[in-house]
Amino acid sequence: MPLKLSYFGDTSVPVEVEGLTPDWACDKSPAEIERFEIFEGNRKRPLAEMFRVSGSATDRCFEWEGNLAGVHWIGAGMQTGEMHVHGPVGRHVGSGLRGGAIQIHGDAGDWAGAELHGGLLHIHGSAAQMVGAAYRGAPKGMTGGMILVDGDAGDEVGAAMRRGLIAVGGSAGDLVGFNMIAGTVLVFGDCGIRAGANMRRGTVGLFGAARPTLLPTFRFATTIRPHVVNVLLRTVAAQGVKFDQRLLEEEFDIYHGDAVSVGRGELLLRQVEVAV
Amino acid sequence: MADPSPTPQTLKLGRVAVVDTFAEAFPIKAARLIITADSQQWADTAATVLCGNATSVIACDIEAAIERKIPANETPDGRPGTAVLAFAFTVDGLAKALQNRVGQCVLTCPTTACYNGLFDCPKEKQIRIGGGIRYFGDGFQRSKKLGDRRYWRIPVMDGEFTCEDYFGTVTGVAGGNLLIGGTSGTAALRATEAAVAAMRSCRDVALPFPGGIVRSGSKVGSKYPKLKASTNDAYCPTLRGDVATELPKDCRAVYEIVLDGLSFDAVQQAMRAGLHAAAAQPNVVMITAGNYGGRLGKHHFHLRDLL
Repeated sequence: MPLKLSYFGDTSVPVEVEGLTPDWACDKSPAEIERFEIFEGNRKRPLAEMFRVSGSATDRCFEWEGNLAGVHWIGAGMQTGEMHVHGPVGRHVGSGLRGGAIQIHGDAGDWAGAELHGGLLHIHGSAAQMVGAAYRGAPKGMTGGMILVDGDAGDEVGAAMRRGLIAVGGSAGDLVGFNMIAGTVLVFGDCGIRAGANMRRGTVGLFGAARPTLLPTFRFATTIRPHVVNVLLRTVAAQGVKFDQRLLEEEFDIYHGDAVSVGRGELLLRQVEVAV
Repeated sequence: MADPSPTPQTLKLGRVAVVDTFAEAFPIKAARLIITADSQQWADTAATVLCGNATSVIACDIEAAIERKIPANETPDGRPGTAVLAFAFTVDGLAKALQNRVGQCVLTCPTTACYNGLFDCPKEKQIRIGGGIRYFGDGFQRSKKLGDRRYWRIPVMDGEFTCEDYFGTVTGVAGGNLLIGGTSGTAALRATEAAVAAMRSCRDVALPFPGGIVRSGSKVGSKYPKLKASTNDAYCPTLRGDVATELPKDCRAVYEIVLDGLSFDAVQQAMRAGLHAAAAQPNVVMITAGNYGGRLGKHHFHLRDLL
């Protein structure tokens, strides 16, 4: 029986639940969990003042309910276990995740999966800016694991990511893979400008129907179907992300760059504009 | 291969005499490679070449054979595949041989890729293959890590060769065997072919000899000190009268099947399938197995358990 956390808070300031993870709660009684200190703005509150707590955390499974759009840092730093969130969530969901799985059945705010190190963050709705990105001033973003966004994502998806896989089922904003060190970002919808800007290594797949305008610092290499792309696409499909099945057969135009950086990155584009 | 006991008892499977003896097998390190390509033909070609000169660890660096074809929807990259099982005495020996063979036989073959086929293996028992041959990329190689699996992408003239970094190993079983005797060479061969077909339908086993069949069964040692193995004279029909033969009167040819597997159960199941398939063929007069009196290996497959 999972631990159920039903949000009934009514506040216009941010609520932060950093540290409330299955790893912490698995050996705690419901009363102890209710006393867990969360922040409402800069004030500490016991969890029970804003969440109704029921069930048990012994099986390391959390169920979150309610309009959590103003609740931030859900699942941040989690190492094991499972979380299911029914409703929208705020910023920093799954930030620094190291293991386990977080399923968001709703939209997520900025910095979803920022600096994620392992495990799975699956957002079944859309995500805002900076998915899997590095925090300002940090040298690296995501370093492992997988972030899946069934809907759209905002700007700077995978900024400075070092390893791991991000897949966006819908469209993405500007600067996909900005400052990317390595890793993989796949965008199955259209994307904004300056994809891969300053990327060193890694792979950005831009599979939208509209072919994006690339920076002039990317050089065309060839048209081919790298076998490893099959592995990536099948992995994403196995997790339930929907995309145009023709991608499983198509060849891609490969561009290498960004020449203003190391230049070992690659952009994969659909060979021709496709009708959707 | 056999060191026959002086008075073997026989059992019956249908009309066929089955010698009440056992096949003796020994532990060995094993790996499974999944070779994919744009077509089944090219996957098979790469697998066949990789398995060349890999019949017996008596004189080859590994024993290897195609295990089965894998449909496209079951392979990592969604293309037709061929599974190869490879066996060697040590994990290091297996790694060295497979690095060489994948580098020379799969990397070179059009459209292929090579993936690990044994999972849940502790890190210290894994062998590095892709990571060993990646240097062929001369600095242009790239890797892609997905979960705990790393894939090396080596640029080649038709695009990229993708090879997984680490491959799992298990301690398998080598040396399972059956000897099938017939009233003629043709009868013995047909029965052995039927047995091979039945055994190849089983999972987790490989038959490393040509077509799965050995005509030159061997015994340990020789009159020539340098030879580790020599012809199994007790089963050579042309030597009847010169040596203490093990052949029934009406037996004119014997073929042996040697099989390796990932587990005792896999080898036993395949031997059972082969034994029954061979016994169902006409003009088979004897089925037996090779052993060394229990001195060689700890795995004993008693034919009476397979009836």
